Amino acid sequence: MKKLALSSAVAGLLASSLSGANIVASKVEHSLKDISPLSPLWYEAKLVVIPVYPQTTIKLNDKIANELNSHNGSKNIKVKALYNDKEIAFLIKWKDKTLSIQKGYRSDSFGDGVAVQFPVNYSNPDKLPYIGMGSEGREVLIHLQKAAPNTYEPNGHGDVAHQVNRHNTNYFGEDLAKFDSEVKDIAVVDYERTFISAGFRSMTEVKDGSVDSNMEMMYNITKGCWKSTLSRPLKDEYLNLDSPAFPVAFAVWDGDKRNRDGLKLLSGWNSVQLEGREGGDKLVSALNDEVKGDVANGKVQFQTNCAACHNTKDFNMAPPYMAPNLSNIGGQATVGYLVESIKEPNAVVVPGYNRNAHKNTPWYNLENGKRVSAMPPFNWLDDKTLNDIVAYLKTLKADEEK
Amino acid sequence: MSKRQLAMVMDLNKCIGCQTCTVACKTQWTNRNGREYMYWNNVETYPGAGYPKNWQELGGGFDESGELKEGIIPNLEADYGVPWDYNYESLALGETMTPNVEPTWGPNWDEDQGAGNFPSDNYFFYIPRICNHCSNPGCLSACPRDAIFKRDQDGVVLVDLDRCQGYRYCIAGCPYKKVYFNPKISKSEKCILCFPRVEKGLPPACAQQCVGRIRFVGFLDDPESQVHKLVHKYKVALPLRPDYGTQPNVYYIPPTEAPPKFDADGKVIEGSDRIPMEELEKLFGPEVHRVVKTIREEREKRRKTGKSEILDILIAYQHSEMFRLDNNYYQEVAKSKGLDAVTPVDTRYIKGAHTKTISHFSVAGGHH
Repeated sequence: MKKLALSSAVAGLLASSLSGANIVASKVEHSLKDISPLSPLWYEAKLVVIPVYPQTTIKLNDKIANELNSHNGSKNIKVKALYNDKEIAFLIKWKDKTLSIQKGYRSDSFGDGVAVQFPVNYSNPDKLPYIGMGSEGREVLIHLQKAAPNTYEPNGHGDVAHQVNRHNTNYFGEDLAKFDSEVKDIAVVDYERTFISAGFRSMTEVKDGSVDSNMEMMYNITKGCWKSTLSRPLKDEYLNLDSPAFPVAFAVWDGDKRNRDGLKLLSGWNSVQLEGREGGDKLVSALNDEVKGDVANGKVQFQTNCAACHNTKDFNMAPPYMAPNLSNIGGQATVGYLVESIKEPNAVVVPGYNRNAHKNTPWYNLENGKRVSAMPPFNWLDDKTLNDIVAYLKTLKADEEK
Repeated sequence: MSKRQLAMVMDLNKCIGCQTCTVACKTQWTNRNGREYMYWNNVETYPGAGYPKNWQELGGGFDESGELKEGIIPNLEADYGVPWDYNYESLALGETMTPNVEPTWGPNWDEDQGAGNFPSDNYFFYIPRICNHCSNPGCLSACPRDAIFKRDQDGVVLVDLDRCQGYRYCIAGCPYKKVYFNPKISKSEKCILCFPRVEKGLPPACAQQCVGRIRFVGFLDDPESQVHKLVHKYKVALPLRPDYGTQPNVYYIPPTEAPPKFDADGKVIEGSDRIPMEELEKLFGPEVHRVVKTIREEREKRRKTGKSEILDILIAYQHSEMFRLDNNYYQEVAKSKGLDAVTPVDTRYIKGAHTKTISHFSVAGGHH
């Protein structure tokens, strides 16, 4: 009975007005393969503003980077989407005052970047993959583009002759110049990568060319703004986006602040609706509806029930690595995820947490080869309390960066 | 922790700073392909800034409660030094010899400078350093990608180059700064303890080439290995900076032999230590007092009686005794995995290539 009552409470949470960012993809007849950020087709698409928030769940160990990112605010990125019968394309624009391209012969230089994430399965909008690169049993596909110089494959595709240092060759003058240019020819010019992932530790690059996508990045110096595009098939062996609506998430990295990996700005799951198709309302509503609840009471309840382990911008009582830091949870987590995680912490155990780095605060224990969250289930909370806590959690997000 | 652990012992009394190990390593692994600036093996002068510059001050490792500490990624120009070359080709045309980059720092920038005043109390000694292949590696703990693993069969710590995304948290996490960023492939690389050689029964190149025969290599759990005898039986070999909490597997015989200090009149101060014990304690921990005493006593014993197993080991008569790599062991490992004799016994460093499914998800997380 209790379970039933609680699920009706969840439904209650969602039945309110639309507020978030729903991307409507306009239909075009043209091919979208390799569409560039400058294509005139983008004039036909509707622009949606999507806030991206600093990833603060886990803090990593680069001292300088942590100092540079300690006061990050959120940013608003602008997104457009187009689709045709076979393909879908996104245009992503975001402000970044500093153009950072990972510099060649340097040890501590990082490039700007952008990524687009899709859930492999989105049939149940309340059980989407964990926003931080998926979770066990809930996989995601990620497209990444970074501003990086020419890179090389570690094994140089087995071509040993061109991995020799130019000073160790027998070449001089013209022959050496020829050698240099041959080496340059085998470089990877475009740092575009696709990953499958079930949690940020498990991220695995798809290297066999089985994802037919293209990303581009262009920087506008006068506007201090990046423009990036992704084009990919609506359907391939990893994803099926050929439905009325599906979720998508975005992340941007600022190389100037030594951003990479978890040091980034990340959106929550946003809905994409394919214009002219019926359905998908359940997903759109799950991702966009505002929670109506008593935020002040939620804050009190959070302090009582949660603040001993979870730090937020309001509470800093817990030891630093005790549990995920929730300072930006409201910007990144869906209502469904929050409700699920409070009642059933084992449903998603943040899988990438490196217990060896923080031995005193294991976020999970291993029982019979499974991760069991260190957090006890709070399924005894009454509906109103749960609702108020979720309403409070949804307010937890960084202010916009000035 | 791995099932077995390879270890190396270096006798600092015998290191003459000739850099033959450095050259052996460089020609074998790091003279090409974006690794030009790296020294997987380097020999630095102590006291000195070391390589990379002031590595002991750059953080990483674990605090007393076992928490990974923040660290700093060294800068290539300022802390490692950009490798430079000269305009040899143009010399014939009358140009003066100039470097192609302004040299600012390098691996031996402060070589042989040491500390103190000549001749009364100046001193220095050499510390050869490779990756410590720690039992509790800071690099492995820092990696958010599970791209670093420790081999079960011998404890060698390796970077899986297919999983590595070049984030460089490992460099911040390693307190010895023995992981390097390869800008050409945009991934991290480090000393591999010459595992392809070791698997065929050969010692790492640095140990094989050492003219002072200061390096002993073997399995710590092999009672016949000199490594076992020095570390566990006689307890005269100590890890570098044990306070970092990573449990290193490269051990050092601390320098015990130095002339006494001189007073203002140039007379010997009897019983004085030219190398300050507090410096040795900083490097090797409080155990160093006992070790220095033992080594000196053993030397006296040897002088008087002609007998001392510790000294016999440290004299390093035979390579065959210094390196006990047990070739059959790796062959057995290969056989148990159904591999032929040529294949490396562990290919995880290329796992992930051409995958369509998630290649990694160790439930334990952090340790394979």
